[in-house]
Amino acid sequence: MKTRSKTQRMIVVAMFSSISYLLMLLDFPLPGFPPFLQIDFSEIPALFVAVLYGPLAGVAVEAIKNTIHYGIAGSFTGVPVGQLANFIAGTLFIVPTAYIFRKFKQTKKGLTVGLVAGTLLMSIIMGLLNYVLILPAYTWFMGFEEMSAAARSTLVLTGITPFNIIKGIIIAVSFILLFVKLQPWFARQTKIA
Amino acid sequence: MIQNVIIGQYVPGKSLIHRFDPRAKLLTVFLFVIIVFLANNWLTYAALGLFTLGAIILSKLPFRYLYNGLKPILLVIILTFFLHVLLTREGNVLFSLGWFKVYEGGVEQGIYISLRLLFLIMITSLLTLTTTPIDITDGIESLLGPFKRFGLPVHEFALMMSIALRFIPTLLEETDKIMKAQSARGAEFSSGPIKERLKAIIPLLVPLFIGAFKRAEDLALAMEARGYRGGEGRTKLRLLEWSAKDTMLIVSLVVLSVLLIMLRG
Repeated sequence: MKTRSKTQRMIVVAMFSSISYLLMLLDFPLPGFPPFLQIDFSEIPALFVAVLYGPLAGVAVEAIKNTIHYGIAGSFTGVPVGQLANFIAGTLFIVPTAYIFRKFKQTKKGLTVGLVAGTLLMSIIMGLLNYVLILPAYTWFMGFEEMSAAARSTLVLTGITPFNIIKGIIIAVSFILLFVKLQPWFARQTKIA
Repeated sequence: MIQNVIIGQYVPGKSLIHRFDPRAKLLTVFLFVIIVFLANNWLTYAALGLFTLGAIILSKLPFRYLYNGLKPILLVIILTFFLHVLLTREGNVLFSLGWFKVYEGGVEQGIYISLRLLFLIMITSLLTLTTTPIDITDGIESLLGPFKRFGLPVHEFALMMSIALRFIPTLLEETDKIMKAQSARGAEFSSGPIKERLKAIIPLLVPLFIGAFKRAEDLALAMEARGYRGGEGRTKLRLLEWSAKDTMLIVSLVVLSVLLIMLRG
């Protein structure tokens, strides 16, 4: 009989935040996209925890990961715009996935539907947020002239949204591969819960 | 690289800046990040510069540490400067070279924005250079304390932050070990097209996840065996103490803010 206490859940969330932060450091740009759009696998531990303990735990991983990243790496505008954007994107991706997966009684089909929903939600809302909030915030903090609405929409439609869709697909595919490998272990963990 | 990841950049010391209460330092940095945007002429930038310089001198840190924190950003600052010089078309023309003209407003704007970035980086790195991550976490927990009333899990968040920070080096070592083990079997992690990276990351994550999970079980057991039962009524080994010098720090920052508001054009 394993303990499934609140303490243990908290520690698992903390450990996976650590892993998530470390994976965040192994980021790489996608060919053909601007270099500030980088892919990393830091969403995978967050997804894993969210699928195991529910969406809120995943959100906690995202929050801790970005707080640590800001504390250690800082932000070149001084204000954590990038970290905030990463947090919102991660949350939008994880919450629907975990929610749908748990609604579908934790089957592979549920996971796939959830990941598709998460990818779509993240891409659409991050596109909108970049247009109205994040890009203007960046240019304001850096003291540049504001980008015109047309320039912003081109960047969002040709850069950010396709990038988010590809990022979502890459993370979804790797998460499914990982989940298949871990499923026997996973089933054991949730059964005792 | 490993050293950098581990403790952020904390440099042990006994200077005045080191001895400030982490809460005072956190509040100062928070306020500073806001008031930096008040500055808009050379007087206000000079005031900010003096404050930053004073803080650096008081911290008694060797310059090399600050420079190390600055290095990755230096390129961004230089780039920002030149973008402003090239793109802003205000004021008199300073000199022209055919179609290429440099305007007074552009140079001014470039210097201001670069200075703003420089001050922000300096002050935030001073915080992480003179405060341990654990102290910062304690400070955040204490500052967010009032929000407990609204149901915000402040204690839990702080605990998870400190555990996460504590285990970064351990998990990094483990990641390194797994990567080496997989490399010995012919795996490639840092190169190749995306499909290859995808394939490489799975055999890395599976043992890492299971290992972290086992570690968590052990730690939970150890904590509960020692009577951990949440934040309610928990005592601390190291208490934060607010002293007169911390009040002085906040007062000096308020004075700086008033100065900026008075001097800005």
